[in-house]
Amino acid sequence: MTAQVDPVSTEARLRAIQSITDAALSRLDDHELLAELLDRTREVLRADTAAVLLLDFSSGQLIATAAAGLEEEVRQGVRIPVGRGFAGRIAAQHQPVILDHVDHTTVLNPILWAKGISSMMGVPMTAGGRVTGVMHVGSLLPRKFTGHDVELLQLAADRAAAAVQSLAAKADRVAVEALQRSLVPSALPAVAGAEMAARYVPGSGVVGGDWYDVFTLPSGELCVVMGDVAGSGLPAAVIMGRMRSALRSYALETPDPAGVLGRLDRKMQHFEPDALATVLYAIFEPALDQVHVCLAGHFPPVIALPGQPAQLAPIANGLMIGVSPAVPRQVTTVPIPPGALLCFYTDGLIERPGQLIDDGLERLRRVVVAQSPEAACAEVMGAMVGDEPARDDIALLMMRRRPDRTETTAVLVSPRE
Amino acid sequence: MPDTRVPVEMVNGVPVVAAPEEIDITNAGELRTALLESAARRPGSFVVDLTRTLFCDTSGLHALVSARKRARAEGGDLLLVTAGAAIPRIFAITGLDQVFASFTSLEEALAHIPAVAGGAPHSDTSPGTSALPGISPDDAGA
Repeated sequence: MTAQVDPVSTEARLRAIQSITDAALSRLDDHELLAELLDRTREVLRADTAAVLLLDFSSGQLIATAAAGLEEEVRQGVRIPVGRGFAGRIAAQHQPVILDHVDHTTVLNPILWAKGISSMMGVPMTAGGRVTGVMHVGSLLPRKFTGHDVELLQLAADRAAAAVQSLAAKADRVAVEALQRSLVPSALPAVAGAEMAARYVPGSGVVGGDWYDVFTLPSGELCVVMGDVAGSGLPAAVIMGRMRSALRSYALETPDPAGVLGRLDRKMQHFEPDALATVLYAIFEPALDQVHVCLAGHFPPVIALPGQPAQLAPIANGLMIGVSPAVPRQVTTVPIPPGALLCFYTDGLIERPGQLIDDGLERLRRVVVAQSPEAACAEVMGAMVGDEPARDDIALLMMRRRPDRTETTAVLVSPRE
Repeated sequence: MPDTRVPVEMVNGVPVVAAPEEIDITNAGELRTALLESAARRPGSFVVDLTRTLFCDTSGLHALVSARKRARAEGGDLLLVTAGAAIPRIFAITGLDQVFASFTSLEEALAHIPAVAGGAPHSDTSPGTSALPGISPDDAGA
């Protein structure tokens, strides 16, 4: 059949497509939404098949995600490299393509020509100027798709792109928050002589890759990790999860904090060469009278002794994880008198737009007081965050060596004491 | 909407990226684009001018570190110009001062870049284009 240039029916068809997404957008499941959109598109364009392929940025391939009349494309997980075949050409050229003859010379995906599709038309899906996918329709009978048909399909594709984008962002945020919450300890380990408290607040805008970890080694030593992966969303959260478990493994292998971070750095540079992160790793002596700290681009902890102003612990800086292979790393040992409080944090706590880093550090230093970790957390969060939503993630961990520590049971006594 | 593009200027045939006052997760993407554009204009070394910059979070550092790695992989380098205390402080804490070549003036930084092979610098009219329209080279490179 040949579509006539009929303004009335074009108007009506436009409205039919526009009406799809307003109702469908309120749904949460993007696969349902796409399925409905494709059904309506097929109907409006009087086509036999309709399909959406979404671009997977990491592989540069289009993946069949939804289809009407062409369900096997999705079931078989069809993947088309950008630049090849019909859909690949649309994505690469950022242009609609009309095919009057479908065969193995024009279409890469054998499902399409094996099914007996004669004519096809496809358009790019874009978001923010980037190609995010391709939408195409096909006809079993030979047909000349017109410019009006292309316009209608482009309208449907724009709607689909916007819907997929917003649903993906929503789903991403839910996934990231769930992942992050699963990665921070649900309960801090009980260690005789130590009191701990923590806060973790995901950023209000884009969820980043902050994490903290507290665990004990088989020897009984208490370890603390603070980390911040550059980037945001699911990619940063996934890297954070990998770093957290890698660091735990290396912690079992070597008692040297610099060795642990060195191995972590090597692992990240090999397997995640574009990742960048700051990490603090600290091992407390069993007697809790000193802590050995290695910094990889992370802020040093604040230490407060009873009755004294707090200070930034004097710890040697070290290079961030993911920059340069085989950098020498230093470990600094900090004595912890009874009753002293250590405050570990990520940059979200101290960084504010329009404020210098040192001003943020100074604000923090003034508010940290040797007191119970729970009270210290509350006071620091109150003073540093208040009621404004934090743009970046915030992780905060307080550890106090018990002031009344008399129960020196079977622990090693440091030679310094 | 304010123009958030990060400008790239050719100075003596070397791309110079003028970094904004604050670099964080909301505008690190624009910095990344400018860094890619610089690398496309003149393969090899280029300069990032951080003299106006007072704040740079990990997403900004990430853009700089990635650009430096790409430049060095092609035999070039990314040189920094800094002024004041804020940026040097951030680079000291992150240890990046150990790896980035940093200068206190643009002239000094440019003096450390060898002359462009073949003489005349590229025309400024052609922004870097990737093989896949609408897809940044970072995404397409995998």
